[in-house]
Amino acid sequence: MTYMWALYAREVKRFQKLLIDTLLSPIIQMVLFLTVFGITLQGQDVEGIPFVTFVFAGLLMMIMVNSSFSNPTFALILGKNVGTIIDLQLAPIKPGSIGLAYALAAFSRGLLTILVAMLITVWFVPEFTISNPFLMLVALLLTGIQFGLLGVTFGMIAKNFESLTIVMGFVLQPMIFLAGIFYPIASLPAPFDLISRFNPLHHNINLFRYTTLGYADTHPMLSLAVIAGITIVMYFVVQRVTRTALRKSYS
Amino acid sequence: MTVLNVQSISKTFPAKQKQGVVHANRDIHLQIEEGQIYGLLGPNGAGKSTLINIISGILLPDQGSVTIYDKDVIHDTEAAKRLMGVVPQEIVVEMAFNVEEVLYYYAGMYGVPQQERNTLIEAALTDLDLLDKRLAKARTLSGGMKRRLMIAKAILHKPKFLILDEPTAGVDVALRQKIWALVRRMNEQGTTILFTTHYLEEAEQLCEAITLIDQGKVIKQGSLKDIQKEFAENVVAFELYDNKVEHLPNVHENATQFHFPITDLAEDMQKVIQHYGDNLKSVKSEAASLEQIFLQLTHHGN
Ligand SMILES: Nc1ncnc2c1ncn2[C@@H]1O[C@H](COP(=O)(O)OP(=O)(O)O)[C@@H](O)[C@H]1O
Ligand SMILES: [Mg+2]
Repeated sequence: MTYMWALYAREVKRFQKLLIDTLLSPIIQMVLFLTVFGITLQGQDVEGIPFVTFVFAGLLMMIMVNSSFSNPTFALILGKNVGTIIDLQLAPIKPGSIGLAYALAAFSRGLLTILVAMLITVWFVPEFTISNPFLMLVALLLTGIQFGLLGVTFGMIAKNFESLTIVMGFVLQPMIFLAGIFYPIASLPAPFDLISRFNPLHHNINLFRYTTLGYADTHPMLSLAVIAGITIVMYFVVQRVTRTALRKSYS
Repeated sequence: MTVLNVQSISKTFPAKQKQGVVHANRDIHLQIEEGQIYGLLGPNGAGKSTLINIISGILLPDQGSVTIYDKDVIHDTEAAKRLMGVVPQEIVVEMAFNVEEVLYYYAGMYGVPQQERNTLIEAALTDLDLLDKRLAKARTLSGGMKRRLMIAKAILHKPKFLILDEPTAGVDVALRQKIWALVRRMNEQGTTILFTTHYLEEAEQLCEAITLIDQGKVIKQGSLKDIQKEFAENVVAFELYDNKVEHLPNVHENATQFHFPITDLAEDMQKVIQHYGDNLKSVKSEAASLEQIFLQLTHHGN
Protein backbone atom coordinates (compact mmCIF):
# COMPACT_ATOMS: atom_id res chain seq x y z
CA MET A 1 0.00 0.00 0.00
CA THR A 2 2.90 2.34 0.78
CA TYR A 3 3.90 1.99 -2.86
CA MET A 4 0.58 3.21 -4.20
CA TRP A 5 0.08 6.02 -1.68
CA ALA A 6 3.56 7.36 -2.29
CA LEU A 7 2.81 7.62 -5.99
CA TYR A 8 -0.60 9.12 -5.21
CA ALA A 9 1.02 11.69 -2.92
CA ARG A 10 3.59 12.51 -5.60
CA GLU A 11 0.94 13.14 -8.22
CA VAL A 12 -1.16 15.24 -5.85
CA LYS A 13 1.94 17.27 -5.03
CA ARG A 14 2.50 17.77 -8.74
CA PHE A 15 -0.84 19.44 -9.34
CA GLN A 16 -0.66 21.37 -6.09
CA LYS A 17 2.45 23.07 -7.44
CA LEU A 18 0.38 24.31 -10.35
CA LEU A 19 -2.71 25.00 -8.34
CA ILE A 20 -3.72 28.24 -9.99
CA ASP A 21 -3.36 26.79 -13.51
CA THR A 22 -5.26 23.73 -12.36
CA LEU A 23 -8.20 25.69 -11.07
CA LEU A 24 -8.36 28.72 -13.25
CA SER A 25 -9.32 27.38 -16.64
CA PRO A 26 -12.23 25.12 -15.62
CA ILE A 27 -13.59 27.83 -13.37
CA ILE A 28 -13.44 30.49 -16.06
CA GLN A 29 -15.20 28.09 -18.41
CA MET A 30 -17.86 27.52 -15.76
CA VAL A 31 -18.44 31.22 -15.20
CA LEU A 32 -18.74 31.82 -18.95
CA PHE A 33 -21.27 29.06 -19.45
CA LEU A 34 -23.35 30.19 -16.50
CA THR A 35 -23.33 33.80 -17.61
CA VAL A 36 -24.38 32.94 -21.14
CA PHE A 37 -27.09 30.49 -20.14
CA GLY A 38 -28.21 32.59 -17.20
CA ILE A 39 -28.85 35.57 -19.44
CA THR A 40 -30.17 33.88 -22.57
CA LEU A 41 -32.37 31.28 -20.98
CA GLN A 42 -33.73 33.20 -18.05
CA GLY A 43 -37.14 31.98 -16.94
CA GLN A 44 -36.97 28.66 -18.77
CA ASP A 45 -37.00 25.42 -16.87
CA VAL A 46 -36.75 21.63 -17.10
CA GLU A 47 -39.57 20.03 -15.15
CA GLY A 48 -39.59 22.83 -12.63
CA ILE A 49 -35.81 23.10 -12.36
CA PRO A 50 -34.43 26.42 -13.59
CA PHE A 51 -32.48 25.80 -16.78
CA VAL A 52 -29.28 27.34 -15.45
CA THR A 53 -29.39 25.02 -12.46
CA PHE A 54 -29.97 22.03 -14.70
CA VAL A 55 -26.90 22.95 -16.76
CA PHE A 56 -24.86 23.78 -13.66
CA ALA A 57 -25.06 20.20 -12.37
CA GLY A 58 -23.94 18.90 -15.77
CA LEU A 59 -21.04 21.33 -15.89
CA LEU A 60 -19.77 20.23 -12.48
CA MET A 61 -19.64 16.66 -13.69
CA MET A 62 -17.94 17.82 -16.88
CA ILE A 63 -15.15 19.32 -14.75
CA MET A 64 -14.65 15.97 -13.02
CA VAL A 65 -14.55 14.08 -16.33
CA ASN A 66 -12.18 16.49 -18.02
CA SER A 67 -9.76 16.88 -15.19
CA SER A 68 -9.60 13.23 -14.21
CA PHE A 69 -8.95 12.22 -17.80
CA SER A 70 -6.40 14.88 -18.64
CA ASN A 71 -4.41 14.89 -15.39
CA PRO A 72 -2.84 11.41 -15.70
CA THR A 73 -2.63 11.58 -19.49
CA PHE A 74 -0.73 14.82 -19.34
CA ALA A 75 1.60 13.62 -16.58
CA LEU A 76 2.41 10.38 -18.38
CA ILE A 77 3.03 11.89 -21.80
CA LEU A 78 5.25 14.51 -20.20
CA GLY A 79 7.08 11.74 -18.34
CA LYS A 80 7.75 9.94 -21.60
CA ASN A 81 9.04 13.06 -23.28
CA VAL A 82 11.26 14.12 -20.39
CA GLY A 83 12.28 10.54 -19.56
CA THR A 84 11.04 10.53 -15.97
CA ILE A 85 8.75 7.62 -16.87
CA ILE A 86 11.82 5.55 -15.95
CA ASP A 87 10.83 5.97 -12.28
CA LEU A 88 7.58 4.11 -12.93
CA GLN A 89 9.44 1.49 -14.96
CA LEU A 90 12.02 0.78 -12.28
CA ALA A 91 10.00 1.00 -9.07
CA PRO A 92 8.36 -2.17 -7.74
CA ILE A 93 4.79 -0.91 -8.03
CA LYS A 94 2.15 -3.19 -9.48
CA PRO A 95 0.49 -1.86 -12.64
CA GLY A 96 -2.91 -1.87 -10.94
CA SER A 97 -1.52 0.29 -8.16
CA ILE A 98 0.01 2.69 -10.66
CA GLY A 99 -3.37 3.00 -12.36
CA LEU A 100 -5.22 3.56 -9.10
CA ALA A 101 -2.66 6.01 -7.74
CA TYR A 102 -2.93 8.19 -10.83
CA ALA A 103 -6.71 7.80 -10.95
CA LEU A 104 -7.14 8.77 -7.30
CA ALA A 105 -4.85 11.75 -7.75
CA ALA A 106 -6.93 12.72 -10.76
CA PHE A 107 -10.09 12.38 -8.70
CA SER A 108 -8.58 14.55 -5.96
CA ARG A 109 -7.78 17.24 -8.46
CA GLY A 110 -11.27 17.03 -9.96
CA LEU A 111 -12.91 17.19 -6.54
CA LEU A 112 -10.86 20.19 -5.50
CA THR A 113 -11.71 21.98 -8.73
CA ILE A 114 -15.39 21.20 -8.36
CA LEU A 115 -15.49 22.41 -4.76
CA VAL A 116 -13.80 25.68 -5.62
CA ALA A 117 -15.95 26.14 -8.71
CA MET A 118 -19.06 25.49 -6.65
CA LEU A 119 -18.03 27.89 -3.90
CA ILE A 120 -17.48 30.65 -6.41
CA THR A 121 -20.53 30.15 -8.60
CA VAL A 122 -23.25 28.43 -6.60
CA TRP A 123 -24.50 31.80 -5.27
CA PHE A 124 -25.65 32.75 -8.74
CA VAL A 125 -27.45 29.48 -9.36
CA PRO A 126 -31.07 29.49 -8.18
CA GLU A 127 -32.50 26.51 -6.33
CA PHE A 128 -29.36 24.35 -6.42
CA THR A 129 -29.68 21.54 -3.90
CA ILE A 130 -27.78 18.42 -2.97
CA SER A 131 -30.44 15.85 -2.40
CA ASN A 132 -28.15 12.92 -1.59
CA PRO A 133 -24.65 14.05 -0.53
CA PHE A 134 -23.37 10.55 0.10
CA LEU A 135 -24.43 9.23 -3.28
CA MET A 136 -23.08 12.41 -4.85
CA LEU A 137 -19.64 11.69 -3.44
CA VAL A 138 -19.87 8.11 -4.66
CA ALA A 139 -20.79 9.35 -8.13
CA LEU A 140 -17.86 11.77 -8.14
CA LEU A 141 -15.39 9.20 -6.78
CA LEU A 142 -16.42 6.55 -9.29
CA THR A 143 -16.38 9.00 -12.17
CA GLY A 144 -12.96 10.28 -11.12
CA ILE A 145 -11.54 6.78 -10.98
CA GLN A 146 -13.30 5.72 -14.18
CA PHE A 147 -11.93 8.58 -16.25
CA GLY A 148 -8.67 8.60 -14.32
CA LEU A 149 -8.08 4.97 -15.34
CA LEU A 150 -9.11 5.84 -18.88
CA GLY A 151 -6.60 8.71 -18.80
CA VAL A 152 -3.84 6.42 -17.52
CA THR A 153 -4.61 3.91 -20.26
CA PHE A 154 -4.49 6.59 -22.89
CA GLY A 155 -1.39 8.21 -21.39
CA MET A 156 0.42 4.89 -21.46
CA ILE A 157 -0.38 4.35 -25.14
CA ALA A 158 -0.08 7.91 -26.48
CA LYS A 159 3.28 9.14 -27.66
CA ASN A 160 2.79 12.88 -27.81
CA PHE A 161 0.61 15.79 -26.81
CA GLU A 162 -0.99 16.03 -30.25
CA SER A 163 -2.77 12.77 -29.66
CA LEU A 164 -4.06 14.10 -26.35
CA THR A 165 -5.41 17.21 -28.04
CA ILE A 166 -7.06 15.08 -30.70
CA VAL A 167 -8.75 12.76 -28.23
CA MET A 168 -9.88 15.60 -25.99
CA GLY A 169 -11.19 17.65 -28.91
CA PHE A 170 -12.64 15.01 -31.19
CA VAL A 171 -13.78 12.31 -28.80
CA LEU A 172 -14.17 13.44 -25.22
CA GLN A 173 -15.64 16.91 -25.76
CA PRO A 174 -18.29 15.78 -28.29
CA MET A 175 -19.24 12.92 -26.00
CA ILE A 176 -19.54 15.28 -23.06
CA PHE A 177 -21.69 17.71 -24.99
CA LEU A 178 -23.95 14.97 -26.34
CA ALA A 179 -24.35 13.38 -22.93
CA GLY A 180 -27.15 15.69 -21.87
CA ILE A 181 -25.41 18.52 -20.09
CA PHE A 182 -27.50 21.18 -21.78
CA TYR A 183 -30.78 19.38 -22.33
CA PRO A 184 -32.75 16.46 -20.94
CA ILE A 185 -32.16 13.36 -23.05
CA ALA A 186 -35.83 12.48 -22.75
CA SER A 187 -36.73 15.56 -24.78
CA LEU A 188 -34.83 14.28 -27.82
CA PRO A 189 -36.79 12.71 -30.68
CA ALA A 190 -36.38 8.96 -31.28
CA PRO A 191 -33.90 7.40 -31.93
CA PHE A 192 -31.57 10.06 -30.49
CA ASP A 193 -32.85 9.66 -26.96
CA LEU A 194 -32.00 5.95 -27.08
CA ILE A 195 -28.64 6.51 -28.75
CA SER A 196 -27.72 9.06 -26.11
CA ARG A 197 -28.21 6.46 -23.42
CA PHE A 198 -25.42 4.42 -25.01
CA ASN A 199 -23.08 7.35 -24.50
CA PRO A 200 -21.35 6.26 -21.29
CA LEU A 201 -20.96 9.88 -20.21
CA HIS A 202 -24.71 10.29 -20.09
CA HIS A 203 -24.72 8.05 -17.03
CA ASN A 204 -22.17 10.10 -15.14
CA ILE A 205 -24.11 13.27 -15.72
CA ASN A 206 -27.45 11.62 -15.11
CA LEU A 207 -26.37 10.11 -11.78
CA PHE A 208 -24.78 13.33 -10.62
CA ARG A 209 -27.87 15.35 -11.49
CA TYR A 210 -29.99 12.84 -9.64
CA THR A 211 -27.86 13.05 -6.50
CA THR A 212 -27.99 16.84 -6.54
CA LEU A 213 -31.23 18.04 -8.14
CA GLY A 214 -33.14 14.79 -7.77
CA TYR A 215 -33.78 14.76 -11.55
CA ALA A 216 -32.90 11.79 -13.74
CA ASP A 217 -33.46 10.95 -17.44
CA THR A 218 -32.47 7.34 -16.91
CA HIS A 219 -32.92 5.27 -13.78
CA PRO A 220 -30.09 6.37 -11.48
CA MET A 221 -29.30 2.83 -10.37
CA LEU A 222 -28.83 1.79 -13.99
CA SER A 223 -26.41 4.69 -14.38
CA LEU A 224 -24.58 3.69 -11.20
CA ALA A 225 -24.28 0.12 -12.49
CA VAL A 226 -22.95 1.30 -15.87
CA ILE A 227 -20.34 3.54 -14.22
CA ALA A 228 -19.26 0.84 -11.77
CA GLY A 229 -19.10 -1.71 -14.57
CA ILE A 230 -16.93 0.47 -16.80
CA THR A 231 -14.68 1.31 -13.85
CA ILE A 232 -14.08 -2.35 -13.07
CA VAL A 233 -13.38 -3.16 -16.71
CA MET A 234 -11.00 -0.19 -16.91
CA TYR A 235 -9.16 -1.43 -13.84
CA PHE A 236 -8.30 -4.63 -15.70
CA VAL A 237 -7.53 -2.85 -18.95
CA VAL A 238 -5.19 -0.41 -17.20
CA GLN A 239 -3.20 -3.26 -15.68
CA ARG A 240 -2.53 -4.90 -19.02
CA VAL A 241 -1.76 -1.70 -20.86
CA THR A 242 0.49 -0.38 -18.10
CA ARG A 243 2.46 -3.60 -17.80
CA THR A 244 3.08 -3.67 -21.52
CA ALA A 245 3.80 0.03 -21.92
CA LEU A 246 6.30 0.23 -19.07
CA ARG A 247 8.36 -2.61 -20.46
CA LYS A 248 8.94 -0.79 -23.69
CA SER A 249 12.13 1.09 -24.17
CA TYR A 250 11.55 4.81 -24.69
CA SER A 251 15.05 5.66 -25.83
CA MET B 1 24.53 -17.47 -3.10
CA THR B 2 23.76 -16.39 -6.65
CA VAL B 3 22.41 -12.86 -6.79
CA LEU B 4 21.90 -12.61 -10.53
CA ASN B 5 21.36 -15.40 -12.98
CA VAL B 6 21.00 -14.45 -16.64
CA GLN B 7 20.20 -17.36 -18.95
CA SER B 8 20.43 -17.18 -22.74
CA ILE B 9 19.13 -13.65 -23.13
CA SER B 10 18.57 -12.44 -26.67
CA LYS B 11 17.07 -9.18 -27.80
CA THR B 12 16.61 -7.63 -31.22
CA PHE B 13 15.46 -4.16 -32.18
CA PRO B 14 14.14 -3.08 -35.54
CA ALA B 15 17.04 -1.46 -37.40
CA LYS B 16 16.75 2.31 -37.69
CA GLN B 17 17.24 3.04 -41.40
CA LYS B 18 17.44 -0.17 -43.33
CA GLN B 19 15.26 -3.21 -43.06
CA GLY B 20 16.12 -6.06 -40.73
CA VAL B 21 17.05 -6.08 -37.08
CA VAL B 22 19.82 -5.10 -34.69
CA HIS B 23 20.96 -7.97 -32.49
CA ALA B 24 21.52 -6.00 -29.29
CA ASN B 25 21.98 -9.14 -27.14
CA ARG B 26 22.76 -12.65 -28.42
CA ASP B 27 22.42 -15.61 -26.13
CA ILE B 28 23.99 -13.99 -23.07
CA HIS B 29 24.66 -16.03 -19.92
CA LEU B 30 25.86 -14.35 -16.75
CA GLN B 31 26.00 -15.17 -13.03
CA ILE B 32 26.91 -12.88 -10.18
CA GLU B 33 27.61 -14.18 -6.69
CA GLU B 34 26.77 -12.34 -3.49
CA GLY B 35 29.38 -9.77 -2.48
CA GLN B 36 30.95 -9.33 -5.91
CA ILE B 37 31.71 -6.16 -7.79
CA TYR B 38 31.01 -7.20 -11.32
CA GLY B 39 31.85 -5.32 -14.50
CA LEU B 40 29.91 -5.56 -17.73
CA LEU B 41 32.27 -4.16 -20.31
CA GLY B 42 32.17 -3.35 -23.96
CA PRO B 43 32.38 -0.50 -26.45
CA ASN B 44 29.49 1.83 -27.20
CA GLY B 45 26.64 -0.01 -28.83
CA ALA B 46 27.83 -3.41 -27.57
CA GLY B 47 24.49 -4.08 -25.89
CA LYS B 48 25.30 -3.29 -22.26
CA SER B 49 22.36 -1.02 -21.58
CA THR B 50 20.01 -3.41 -23.32
CA LEU B 51 21.09 -6.18 -20.96
CA ILE B 52 20.91 -3.87 -17.94
CA ASN B 53 17.38 -2.85 -18.93
CA ILE B 54 16.33 -6.46 -19.25
CA ILE B 55 17.84 -7.28 -15.85
CA SER B 56 16.09 -4.25 -14.32
CA GLY B 57 12.74 -5.50 -15.57
CA ILE B 58 12.03 -2.55 -17.85
CA LEU B 59 12.57 -4.31 -21.15
CA LEU B 60 11.31 -7.72 -22.23
CA PRO B 61 13.88 -10.00 -23.88
CA ASP B 62 12.98 -11.98 -27.00
CA GLN B 63 14.08 -15.09 -25.15
CA GLY B 64 15.86 -16.19 -22.02
CA SER B 65 15.36 -15.68 -18.30
CA VAL B 66 16.66 -13.47 -15.52
CA THR B 67 16.42 -14.13 -11.80
CA ILE B 68 17.48 -11.95 -8.89
CA TYR B 69 17.87 -14.05 -5.72
CA ASP B 70 15.56 -16.62 -7.34
CA LYS B 71 12.90 -14.03 -8.14
CA ASP B 72 12.01 -14.15 -11.80
CA VAL B 73 12.32 -10.67 -13.26
CA ILE B 74 9.88 -11.36 -16.07
CA HIS B 75 7.12 -13.15 -14.19
CA ASP B 76 7.61 -11.93 -10.64
CA THR B 77 8.70 -8.43 -11.61
CA GLU B 78 7.80 -6.45 -8.49
CA ALA B 79 9.40 -8.94 -6.09
CA ALA B 80 12.62 -8.85 -8.13
CA LYS B 81 12.60 -5.05 -8.46
CA ARG B 82 12.33 -4.64 -4.69
CA LEU B 83 15.77 -6.24 -4.32
CA MET B 84 17.49 -3.94 -6.80
CA GLY B 85 18.59 -0.36 -6.99
CA VAL B 86 19.19 0.85 -10.52
CA VAL B 87 21.05 3.91 -11.80
CA PRO B 88 20.09 4.22 -15.46
CA GLN B 89 22.48 5.54 -18.05
CA GLU B 90 20.42 8.57 -19.08
CA ILE B 91 20.23 11.43 -16.63
CA VAL B 92 16.63 12.51 -16.19
CA VAL B 93 15.13 14.72 -13.50
CA GLU B 94 11.70 15.73 -12.37
CA MET B 95 10.86 19.24 -13.49
CA ALA B 96 8.55 20.12 -10.62
CA PHE B 97 10.24 18.77 -7.50
CA ASN B 98 13.15 19.68 -5.31
CA VAL B 99 15.84 17.16 -4.37
CA GLU B 100 14.21 16.17 -1.10
CA GLU B 101 10.81 15.67 -2.70
CA VAL B 102 12.29 13.53 -5.47
CA LEU B 103 13.88 11.25 -2.90
CA TYR B 104 10.90 11.25 -0.55
CA TYR B 105 8.41 10.00 -3.12
CA TYR B 106 10.87 7.65 -4.78
CA ALA B 107 11.61 5.97 -1.45
CA GLY B 108 7.88 5.54 -0.98
CA MET B 109 7.60 3.95 -4.41
CA TYR B 110 10.08 1.36 -3.13
CA GLY B 111 7.91 0.70 -0.10
CA VAL B 112 9.94 2.65 2.46
CA PRO B 113 7.51 3.71 5.23
CA GLN B 114 7.04 7.46 5.71
CA GLN B 115 8.64 7.63 9.15
CA GLU B 116 11.89 6.05 7.89
CA ARG B 117 12.29 8.17 4.81
CA ASN B 118 13.87 11.28 6.31
CA THR B 119 16.70 9.35 7.96
CA LEU B 120 17.43 7.49 4.76
CA ILE B 121 17.29 10.65 2.65
CA GLU B 122 19.72 12.34 5.02
CA ALA B 123 22.11 9.37 4.79
CA ALA B 124 21.96 9.19 0.99
CA LEU B 125 22.44 12.94 0.60
CA THR B 126 25.43 12.83 2.96
CA ASP B 127 26.93 9.91 1.03
CA LEU B 128 26.65 11.84 -2.20
CA ASP B 129 27.57 15.28 -0.91
CA LEU B 130 24.22 16.78 -1.74
CA LEU B 131 22.99 17.84 1.70
CA ASP B 132 23.18 21.53 0.89
CA LYS B 133 21.11 20.99 -2.26
CA ARG B 134 18.26 19.42 -0.35
CA LEU B 135 15.79 22.15 -1.17
CA ALA B 136 17.10 23.01 -4.63
CA LYS B 137 14.91 22.23 -7.62
CA ALA B 138 16.28 19.05 -9.16
CA ARG B 139 16.33 20.55 -12.64
CA THR B 140 18.61 23.39 -11.54
CA LEU B 141 21.41 21.03 -10.45
CA SER B 142 24.61 20.68 -12.48
CA GLY B 143 25.16 17.56 -14.56
CA GLY B 144 27.38 15.93 -11.97
CA MET B 145 24.90 16.68 -9.20
CA LYS B 146 22.06 15.22 -11.22
CA ARG B 147 24.12 12.06 -11.65
CA ARG B 148 24.64 11.95 -7.88
CA LEU B 149 20.93 12.47 -7.31
CA MET B 150 20.21 9.49 -9.55
CA ILE B 151 22.62 7.40 -7.49
CA ALA B 152 21.02 8.65 -4.27
CA LYS B 153 17.62 7.50 -5.58
CA ALA B 154 18.98 4.04 -6.30
CA ILE B 155 20.56 3.48 -2.87
CA LEU B 156 17.79 4.99 -0.74
CA HIS B 157 15.97 1.77 0.00
CA LYS B 158 19.21 -0.07 0.79
CA PRO B 159 19.07 -2.57 -2.06
CA LYS B 160 20.99 -5.83 -1.80
CA PHE B 161 21.90 -5.55 -5.46
CA LEU B 162 22.97 -2.25 -7.01
CA ILE B 163 23.16 -1.75 -10.77
CA LEU B 164 24.94 1.24 -12.30
CA ASP B 165 24.83 1.80 -16.05
CA GLU B 166 27.84 3.93 -17.09
CA PRO B 167 27.90 5.84 -13.80
CA THR B 168 31.08 7.69 -14.78
CA ALA B 169 30.29 8.64 -18.38
CA GLY B 170 30.83 12.36 -18.78
CA VAL B 171 31.83 12.79 -15.16
CA ASP B 172 34.95 14.65 -13.96
CA VAL B 173 37.83 12.87 -12.25
CA ALA B 174 36.99 14.00 -8.72
CA LEU B 175 33.41 12.82 -8.96
CA ARG B 176 34.51 9.54 -10.51
CA GLN B 177 36.69 8.81 -7.52
CA LYS B 178 33.82 9.68 -5.23
CA ILE B 179 31.46 7.38 -7.05
CA TRP B 180 33.90 4.48 -6.93
CA ALA B 181 34.63 5.09 -3.25
CA LEU B 182 30.92 4.89 -2.57
CA VAL B 183 30.59 1.72 -4.62
CA ARG B 184 33.44 0.12 -2.67
CA ARG B 185 31.96 1.21 0.64
CA MET B 186 28.55 -0.20 -0.22
CA ASN B 187 30.16 -3.40 -1.38
CA GLU B 188 32.01 -3.72 1.93
CA GLN B 189 28.68 -3.31 3.69
CA GLY B 190 27.34 -6.27 1.76
CA THR B 191 25.83 -4.85 -1.43
CA THR B 192 26.48 -6.79 -4.60
CA ILE B 193 27.35 -4.47 -7.48
CA LEU B 194 26.93 -4.70 -11.22
CA PHE B 195 28.15 -1.82 -13.33
CA THR B 196 28.85 -1.14 -16.97
CA THR B 197 31.55 1.00 -18.43
CA HIS B 198 33.45 1.44 -21.62
CA TYR B 199 36.46 2.71 -19.64
CA LEU B 200 38.33 -0.51 -19.14
CA GLU B 201 40.84 0.91 -16.62
CA GLU B 202 37.98 1.49 -14.22
CA ALA B 203 37.00 -2.12 -14.32
CA GLU B 204 40.60 -3.18 -13.77
CA GLN B 205 40.70 -1.26 -10.53
CA LEU B 206 37.35 -2.32 -9.16
CA CYS B 207 36.10 -5.67 -10.32
CA GLU B 208 36.68 -9.22 -9.30
CA ALA B 209 34.87 -10.56 -12.30
CA ILE B 210 33.86 -9.28 -15.68
CA THR B 211 31.93 -10.03 -18.81
CA LEU B 212 33.20 -8.52 -22.02
CA ILE B 213 30.58 -8.09 -24.70
CA ASP B 214 30.85 -6.91 -28.25
CA GLN B 215 28.12 -6.69 -30.87
CA GLY B 216 25.70 -8.27 -28.42
CA LYS B 217 27.83 -11.35 -27.78
CA VAL B 218 29.85 -12.43 -24.76
CA ILE B 219 33.46 -12.60 -25.89
CA LYS B 220 35.14 -13.21 -22.54
CA GLN B 221 33.87 -13.92 -19.09
CA GLY B 222 35.31 -14.83 -15.71
CA SER B 223 37.49 -13.60 -12.89
CA LEU B 224 39.65 -10.66 -13.86
CA LYS B 225 42.76 -12.36 -12.47
CA ASP B 226 42.25 -15.47 -14.57
CA ILE B 227 41.67 -13.47 -17.69
CA GLN B 228 44.75 -11.35 -17.10
CA LYS B 229 46.79 -14.49 -16.40
CA GLU B 230 45.60 -16.00 -19.62
CA PHE B 231 46.80 -12.93 -21.44
CA ALA B 232 50.00 -12.45 -19.44
CA GLU B 233 53.16 -11.91 -21.53
CA ASN B 234 50.86 -11.10 -24.29
CA VAL B 235 52.23 -8.00 -25.90
CA VAL B 236 55.55 -6.73 -27.06
CA ALA B 237 55.78 -3.29 -25.48
CA PHE B 238 58.28 -0.94 -27.07
CA GLU B 239 59.27 2.72 -27.18
CA LEU B 240 60.59 4.54 -30.23
CA TYR B 241 62.81 7.56 -30.79
CA ASP B 242 60.75 8.64 -33.75
CA ASN B 243 57.03 7.83 -33.48
CA LYS B 244 56.11 8.92 -37.00
CA VAL B 245 57.03 5.79 -38.88
CA GLU B 246 55.31 3.06 -40.82
CA HIS B 247 54.00 0.62 -38.18
CA LEU B 248 53.50 -3.11 -38.24
CA PRO B 249 49.86 -4.13 -38.61
CA ASN B 250 48.00 -4.50 -35.24
CA VAL B 251 50.30 -2.11 -33.40
CA HIS B 252 48.44 0.02 -30.87
CA GLU B 253 49.69 3.24 -29.42
CA ASN B 254 49.47 3.43 -25.63
CA ALA B 255 50.69 6.75 -24.18
CA THR B 256 54.46 6.72 -24.90
CA GLN B 257 54.54 3.03 -25.65
CA PHE B 258 53.43 0.83 -28.52
CA HIS B 259 52.00 -2.64 -28.15
CA PHE B 260 52.16 -5.51 -30.58
CA PRO B 261 50.11 -8.63 -29.77
CA ILE B 262 52.10 -11.82 -29.34
CA THR B 263 51.26 -15.17 -30.87
CA ASP B 264 54.76 -16.56 -30.54
CA LEU B 265 57.06 -14.71 -28.11
CA ALA B 266 60.44 -15.25 -29.80
CA GLU B 267 59.15 -14.84 -33.32
CA ASP B 268 57.11 -11.71 -32.62
CA MET B 269 59.92 -10.10 -30.61
CA GLN B 270 62.20 -10.71 -33.58
CA LYS B 271 59.63 -9.23 -35.92
CA VAL B 272 59.44 -6.00 -33.94
CA ILE B 273 63.23 -5.67 -33.65
CA GLN B 274 63.67 -6.26 -37.36
CA HIS B 275 60.98 -3.82 -38.37
CA TYR B 276 61.98 -0.86 -36.16
CA GLY B 277 65.74 -1.49 -35.97
CA ASP B 278 67.73 1.49 -34.68
CA ASN B 279 64.60 3.45 -33.95
CA LEU B 280 63.87 1.23 -30.89
CA LYS B 281 64.47 2.92 -27.54
CA SER B 282 63.32 -0.09 -25.47
CA VAL B 283 61.51 -3.38 -25.99
CA LYS B 284 60.05 -6.00 -23.65
CA SER B 285 57.16 -8.43 -23.32
CA GLU B 286 54.33 -7.45 -20.95
CA ALA B 287 51.05 -8.57 -19.40
CA ALA B 288 48.20 -7.20 -21.41
CA SER B 289 45.90 -4.64 -19.86
CA LEU B 290 42.18 -5.17 -20.12
CA GLU B 291 42.17 -2.65 -22.93
CA GLN B 292 44.68 -4.65 -24.96
CA ILE B 293 42.89 -7.90 -24.19
CA PHE B 294 39.76 -6.34 -25.43
CA LEU B 295 41.36 -5.04 -28.61
CA GLN B 296 42.84 -8.43 -29.33
CA LEU B 297 39.62 -10.30 -28.70
CA THR B 298 37.53 -8.03 -30.87
CA HIS B 299 40.22 -8.13 -33.52
CA HIS B 300 40.23 -11.93 -33.56
CA GLY B 301 36.46 -11.84 -33.81
CA ASN B 302 36.61 -10.05 -37.14
N1 LIG C 1 15.16 1.18 -28.26
C1 LIG C 1 15.99 0.82 -29.26
N2 LIG C 1 15.56 0.77 -30.52
C2 LIG C 1 16.39 0.41 -31.53
N3 LIG C 1 17.66 0.06 -31.36
C3 LIG C 1 18.16 0.08 -30.13
C4 LIG C 1 17.36 0.46 -29.00
N4 LIG C 1 18.13 0.39 -27.89
C5 LIG C 1 19.34 -0.02 -28.30
N5 LIG C 1 19.38 -0.21 -29.64
C6 LIG C 1 20.53 -0.68 -30.43
O1 LIG C 1 21.05 -1.85 -29.79
C7 LIG C 1 22.45 -1.83 -29.78
C8 LIG C 1 22.96 -1.91 -28.36
O2 LIG C 1 22.68 -0.70 -27.69
P1 LIG C 1 22.99 -0.48 -26.15
O3 LIG C 1 22.48 -1.63 -25.38
O4 LIG C 1 22.46 0.86 -25.77
O5 LIG C 1 24.59 -0.48 -26.14
P2 LIG C 1 25.60 0.04 -25.03
O6 LIG C 1 24.85 0.35 -23.79
O7 LIG C 1 26.57 -1.07 -24.86
O8 LIG C 1 26.26 1.26 -25.58
C9 LIG C 1 22.87 -0.56 -30.51
O9 LIG C 1 23.13 -0.90 -31.85
C10 LIG C 1 21.67 0.32 -30.42
O10 LIG C 1 21.58 1.18 -31.52
MG1 LIG D 1 24.73 2.05 -22.69
